[in-house]
Amino acid sequence: MTTDIPSRPSALARGGPWAWRGADFVVAAVFGIAMGVVFIAWDYLLNTPWTAITLAFPPAASLALGVWLLPAIGGGLIVRRPGAALFVELVAAILEYLLGNPWGPGVLVSGLLQGLGVELVLAAFRWRRFGPAVAMLAGAASATVEIVVYEWWSYAAEYSWPWKLAMLAFAVVSGLAAGLAGHALVRALARTGALSGFPPGAEETLRRAGDG
Amino acid sequence: MLARCGPLSLLGASFVLMVGGLGAPGPAGLALASGVLLVAVPLTVGPGRFPWARLVPGLLAIASVAWSNWLLASPRSWEAAGFAGLRIGFFVLPGVVFASFVDPAVLGDHLGQRLRLPARPVLAAVAALQRFERFGADWEDLGRARRVRGLGPSRSPVSALRAGAAQAMGLLVGALRDATDSAVAMEARGFSRPARTGTPRTWAVAAPWTRADTALLVGCLAATTIALAGTPVLAALAGR
Repeated sequence: MTTDIPSRPSALARGGPWAWRGADFVVAAVFGIAMGVVFIAWDYLLNTPWTAITLAFPPAASLALGVWLLPAIGGGLIVRRPGAALFVELVAAILEYLLGNPWGPGVLVSGLLQGLGVELVLAAFRWRRFGPAVAMLAGAASATVEIVVYEWWSYAAEYSWPWKLAMLAFAVVSGLAAGLAGHALVRALARTGALSGFPPGAEETLRRAGDG
Repeated sequence: MLARCGPLSLLGASFVLMVGGLGAPGPAGLALASGVLLVAVPLTVGPGRFPWARLVPGLLAIASVAWSNWLLASPRSWEAAGFAGLRIGFFVLPGVVFASFVDPAVLGDHLGQRLRLPARPVLAAVAALQRFERFGADWEDLGRARRVRGLGPSRSPVSALRAGAAQAMGLLVGALRDATDSAVAMEARGFSRPARTGTPRTWAVAAPWTRADTALLVGCLAATTIALAGTPVLAALAGR
């Protein structure tokens, strides 16, 4: 039955959300590094063509912001503990920072804000809801915090207000998409069995038992 | 000199410059401070220690910032757009240079011992950063294995993209499985014991703060002061 999946509660982190295990840190950090590799691939291969494409209409450049939100969303959904989204996002940002990127130390500020945006939403649901809707909300919040707190005053300081708002709208659309993509990525990982020690892996086992 | 700096001063100096760049009230002081950095940073790097081509993406980013801040401003102004680009360049370019001198393992030692950040996330991040160096070799192994099994891409770009995505997923799954294994090994060696029992954690390598660290931080504080205070001071001098 597929109809009862939305009403099925999310599996929760073992021992309550605050009981971080060693494996939570180690797996979250490796996930962050893997996502950092995605950042670097983007910085080296796609950033220049993407900037060139969006030169005619710069606010649309924010449509790519979602790529940078994936570690926080994915990390939050895998580990399901306070700080997980922030930790994974910071690890990815540090890798990007160390290997050279177009924005220098700016990526650390962005990583911090993007991680905090996801944390806000997961905290609002008290680390109990991790469905696609919550993931999308987290992506939108993360994009909003990044744009409103940092990018409006740094990379877009001279934009007129209508353009600043257009930039925010594009970023939020990208954040919503990143929420869906992050949720899909975590489910795909769970299906391979790689997350068997984590709540998404437990959900996958339950789902299979239900289907079988 | 930068080679003798620890990671905390390199990071701290980057953030000090960020305050100067983003907080600068006008172009005059910021241009003066940028001139100072333009001379001072190459001198502190030393010959052959930094591949200057690494600054190209940053320069392109600054150009795109200046361009978009001209195009979307109302009214449009080249001075304001140039200032917007300079504000970003002021911290991005030195930041990229400084970052290339940060060693990941040393950064972990300093974050744990000097800033006293929680040890488990710091150590897990350092371990994962070391894992990163194996990703390249793993990627090639996976590609070879997939070709041998007849799963390699054909010549069409769509097929290459699809094979690349599948291979990336394979790499991620493998990395997460390895991480679960190494977490068991780390726990067996007492990784979480200090957190559980309160016994103090010991560190293999010291994390010293040196004179080079202080010099770098003071220098960048001076540049930021010029960026922040230069414009009003120059205006006052001109008005006299």
